[in-house]
Amino acid sequence: MATPHTRERLFLFGLLTPVTLLLGIFFLLPLAVIVIYSWLMPGLYGGVEWEFYHWNYGRLFGWADGVMEIYEPIYLKILLRSLSLAILTVLLTLVLCYPVAFWISRLSPRWQVVFLFLITLPFFTSLVVRLYAWLLILKPSGVLNSTLLGMGLISEPLEILFTRTAVVIGMAYVMIPFMFMPLFASIGNLDRSLLEASSDLGAGRVQTFFKVMLPQTMPGVIGGSVIVFIPSVGNFVVPDVLGGAKGLMIGNLVEQQFLSARNWPFGSALSVVIMAVVLGVMLIYVTRLVREGRAS
Amino acid sequence: MKYLRRLPLSAMLLTFYSLLFFAFIYAPLALIVTYSFNANPVNMMVWDGFTLDWYRIILGLKDRPVDIVNSSSAYLDSTDQLLEALRNSLIIATSTTTISTVIGTSAAIALARFRFRMRGFYRGLMMMPMTMPDIVLGIGLLIFFVSAGAKLGLTTIIIGHCTFLTSYVFIIVQARMAGLDPALEEASADLGANEWLTFRKVLLPQLMPGIAGGAMLAFIISMDDLVITYFISGTDSTTLPVFIFSMVRRGVKPEINAIATLIILVSIIIAAVGLWLRARRKD
Repeated sequence: MATPHTRERLFLFGLLTPVTLLLGIFFLLPLAVIVIYSWLMPGLYGGVEWEFYHWNYGRLFGWADGVMEIYEPIYLKILLRSLSLAILTVLLTLVLCYPVAFWISRLSPRWQVVFLFLITLPFFTSLVVRLYAWLLILKPSGVLNSTLLGMGLISEPLEILFTRTAVVIGMAYVMIPFMFMPLFASIGNLDRSLLEASSDLGAGRVQTFFKVMLPQTMPGVIGGSVIVFIPSVGNFVVPDVLGGAKGLMIGNLVEQQFLSARNWPFGSALSVVIMAVVLGVMLIYVTRLVREGRAS
Repeated sequence: MKYLRRLPLSAMLLTFYSLLFFAFIYAPLALIVTYSFNANPVNMMVWDGFTLDWYRIILGLKDRPVDIVNSSSAYLDSTDQLLEALRNSLIIATSTTTISTVIGTSAAIALARFRFRMRGFYRGLMMMPMTMPDIVLGIGLLIFFVSAGAKLGLTTIIIGHCTFLTSYVFIIVQARMAGLDPALEEASADLGANEWLTFRKVLLPQLMPGIAGGAMLAFIISMDDLVITYFISGTDSTTLPVFIFSMVRRGVKPEINAIATLIILVSIIIAAVGLWLRARRKD
């Protein structure tokens, strides 16, 4: 008869085997495959040659041999553009959400539930549908231009659609719920008496905000920023719908390499770079959390 | 009004800004809904009277206007394609929800109730799929399936969805697990119940709200996933988001408004019911 101890081990084994197989085979292995592919030679008609090849990264960072693979600064530019776009999205959602989170935190619990529900609701609606709405708003004959023209504020339609501005607007719009929730968690826990103490001691509003409120709510600010930054970096759907050729981002470049250019190794190399950026950000974030956990 | 007058200017500005913020969130959705009833087939911006024709067209109850059929950009070839995509999405979401709920819940129980050497590793592993950009996971699975000689289709999509949705279920069930009292399970064991019986009669009923919440989230995300599905779907396994994505890519057409409105309606109903159930449980 099995002892309780071995029975327990068997139970644990049964609980963990499915997740181990699922994530081992269909998550860790594919990630490893991307890394391997990024160091292989692209085949002539798609596919790969099993040969060590570092020019994929050379094409991106500048040590391409100039014969088989050519260094194009445009790739690096697109990478930097995507990073700055992700940072811009973070800042925009932060500035948009912070006052509203503060406003909701001062409402009665009943109204808080209502407004938090209203913030999360769009998250459950299809992403493509939400972007499509912005297509309708921003196009030359769209709502924004008709309104502004009708009011006589502009004399000819603004060209916003298919620019980087459109991408930032669309990205911020879809990322709002991700920024809002961590932010609200921090601002909701803010000790109101600290703000009162600050103003009693003669600090102005601006000073109270920067010296008391912002430092107190920093965990939410950083948490929200990380959660928004990560999916923004490699996003290809928003630039695809709203960005056009001018708004091309690294995600679109990866998509092209896989679905039209059929250069999988180069696409893999680009993905490895996205992965590295994300892991880097996560690493800094987690170390910070651990350090703060120790300090308190 | 009395209330407003008592408020200092800054508080009024804050309220005003917050209401604007909510208008900003909802105006785009309201716009689609409005347009879906606009009879004007050429320029949606011009209101031409109320109609349900676009709904009739996507449901196959009415043929589309001749000028749209004849134009080269006619693309909603048939209602069948739309229904096929919807059917695929439902099959995928149902299977994915079932599988990832079972696996995610098991993992959450294992990590909460057992101490073992690899615990830290598993905790990190469960977080990883959520932090990995979906495009990376999508192409990783694409290369993997193609090199393994698997045919891209519903099965590959279901597997792909399970890899990241299991993590979502795990997080939610784990949060529920943390609030439970292990003494109840110990009492059950002391009274002679074996692990399985304790699991079924004591742990599972208490975990149920977490499991249901995780399953609901998995279903919604699976129904809406575009990026991973986009890379690993075959030609005959288009899902609803991929279908709409390709429609939007080919240009703005009045039918899209009607489809989008239906999607908004259904997702709002699902989310409202889910959140309402959760709020009621807390009372």
